[in-house]
Amino acid sequence: MNNASVLPLRSSQLASYTQSVPCYLCQTVNTFDVEFCTCCSAPMALAHQAKGRKVSPQMVAVVGASAVGKTVYLGMLIDMLTRQQRPLHLLTRGAFSLALQQTTVAALARCEFPPKTPTDPERWNWVHGQIRQARKRQPTELILCDMAGDALMTEVDHPHSYRVIRQFLQRSAAAIVLIDAMEISEGSRRQDFFAMKLLSYLSELETDVPGWSQRPVALVLTKADQCEECLANAAGFARTHAVGLWQHCRERFCRHQFFAASVAGACAWRESATEGRRQVPLRIEPRGIIEPLEWLLAQRLGARG
Amino acid sequence: MEPFAHWIALGAIGWLGVLSMAAGAWLNNPPLMASGGIGASYALIEIANRFAAAPAGRRRVRAAPAPPVAAAHRSIDPSDSGALVEQMLSQDRYALLLRPQVVETLTHDQFLRAKQALEQAMALVGEARVTLEAAGLSQGGVIHVEPFYLDRFTVTNRQFYEFVAAEAYRQPALWETSIWPAVAEMIDSTGAAGPRWWREGCFEPGQDSLPVVGICWHEAAAYARWAGKRLPSDAEWVRAAAYPDNSPGNRPRPYPWGDAMEAGRANLWGSGLGRVAAVDQFSEGATPNGICQLIGNVWQWTSGNFRGTGLEAEDDRSAPWSLPSPWKNIRGGAFDTYFDSQATCQFVSGEDPRRRRRNIGFRCAIGVCDLVPEVCT
Repeated sequence: MNNASVLPLRSSQLASYTQSVPCYLCQTVNTFDVEFCTCCSAPMALAHQAKGRKVSPQMVAVVGASAVGKTVYLGMLIDMLTRQQRPLHLLTRGAFSLALQQTTVAALARCEFPPKTPTDPERWNWVHGQIRQARKRQPTELILCDMAGDALMTEVDHPHSYRVIRQFLQRSAAAIVLIDAMEISEGSRRQDFFAMKLLSYLSELETDVPGWSQRPVALVLTKADQCEECLANAAGFARTHAVGLWQHCRERFCRHQFFAASVAGACAWRESATEGRRQVPLRIEPRGIIEPLEWLLAQRLGARG
Repeated sequence: MEPFAHWIALGAIGWLGVLSMAAGAWLNNPPLMASGGIGASYALIEIANRFAAAPAGRRRVRAAPAPPVAAAHRSIDPSDSGALVEQMLSQDRYALLLRPQVVETLTHDQFLRAKQALEQAMALVGEARVTLEAAGLSQGGVIHVEPFYLDRFTVTNRQFYEFVAAEAYRQPALWETSIWPAVAEMIDSTGAAGPRWWREGCFEPGQDSLPVVGICWHEAAAYARWAGKRLPSDAEWVRAAAYPDNSPGNRPRPYPWGDAMEAGRANLWGSGLGRVAAVDQFSEGATPNGICQLIGNVWQWTSGNFRGTGLEAEDDRSAPWSLPSPWKNIRGGAFDTYFDSQATCQFVSGEDPRRRRRNIGFRCAIGVCDLVPEVCT
């Protein structure tokens, strides 16, 4: 006599565990339901989305020191690209791609800067989107990540501290390096040194051909609203105020260009009882946000993402 | 320009010389070769000299456009009061003529013309109680506004040119004494007195009707003083923008035309223009009494000191600002204002009164009480 047994539904799920999904960054094999890679902490959603696509998304690294404005820059860039139609238009993929845009835009609309990005990679915001260009038939798939500046600095000073950063930078096809124009104009060398360390780190990464010396690098001077000299001539400003960085780029990167960008029209400091002294944007007037990405897309992004 | 026949002659000499040289070489005739060489050399040297000559004689030079003629540039007899009145009307300084101290010197016709100029250029805004949402106001944010006139358009390049041409930058009475040393630094891109991006004391051709930008708060205040007006207070500006009707109990609107941003009514980032527009564009965003571009195109300086944007949380509103000196308020948003919520009638931003931005302009106001009563009848 056969005893009919009803297998619980969960068994089908158990069967799915036999299916492995490689991480999009480090290729480590993970189970299908893992949210973050067990090795490098990159979101597995990237692997799920990239699976089955004819063209692999390319990664663009947006890097810079702590408090240089990576979150604000990236959030505004995404929002502006989704709002406009020409010359570039971005269509985000996956709900996770909207988190950065939502957080940044909500804060800036209230005349606040978004909170500092945590150093835990599992709390970073990732963006996967499809960029349509007016003169190109084929859209470009891009992956961007808002990484914590402190984590970047730690990885640069102590390689392999953050595997996700190392993997991401190795596989990125291009980079946008943010530098605080205000600090440079005030004579501080912190931005200069960090950028040079970061670029040295990039150029010495073990990568697939072509190496970082051949990949396009956009150097963006942020907070240019407080330093209008760099808006007029970003390269000239860098040559005058960040000589070491300027020389470093000339010698190590054959495809690089300086840009100036600002998001706030004006900023002021405020003493708050609850949060202490903090900087407040008095209005949002984006300038030079899209041009670096436009330039990068105009270059041949040869490295595999 | 050299006559065309000269070029023909030089060309002919040159070719004959070359042919003579060739013939002499073929016929083994040195004198023929030598004469041919001399002729060719002469032609080449003459051609080279004419190319190296002054360009005006040979190249087409595009003449620089002549600067507009300002009323101040026309010479008038100082004792001719009629000509002086005409000059002031040309300079849009009608408000000075309508002051009680001055109007008695005008003829009836001159008074009517000044009054007409006022009514064309400015709109009457009635009295009201206005709620200001910016932080730090001791009155609880409700202010009584007396009736006043407000410019229908922001001050244009053409209007400001009259101010520059009248050498107002050299008239100390128009400037606050604390700012006198800094007036010398208010120069354009060529070093002449004037707005930041002008050249040689004048705006770029074709930009007559654009709002003047690249001027600091002090320049705006000096112009207003020169024109017999003043900068509007924040309460006056909000009264004109947010309270279009004078009926009691009327609630303020976020925008002059209603409760929601509508495409085509204001020049903001979303409109896609990406630059300043002429002051009479986007007329669909005007108030019912004909004041244009209160929202969008350029921010407008007001007379108030910056205390907050109005977006702060309630318990944050009293938090002090760390500013090196008092900043001034700007209102209305500009062509590059990204968020519609930062271009409402109540939103206010701040700026250093010495900064000369590409997106900040101004408009002027004058109280009804400052004019002769006959103006309003």
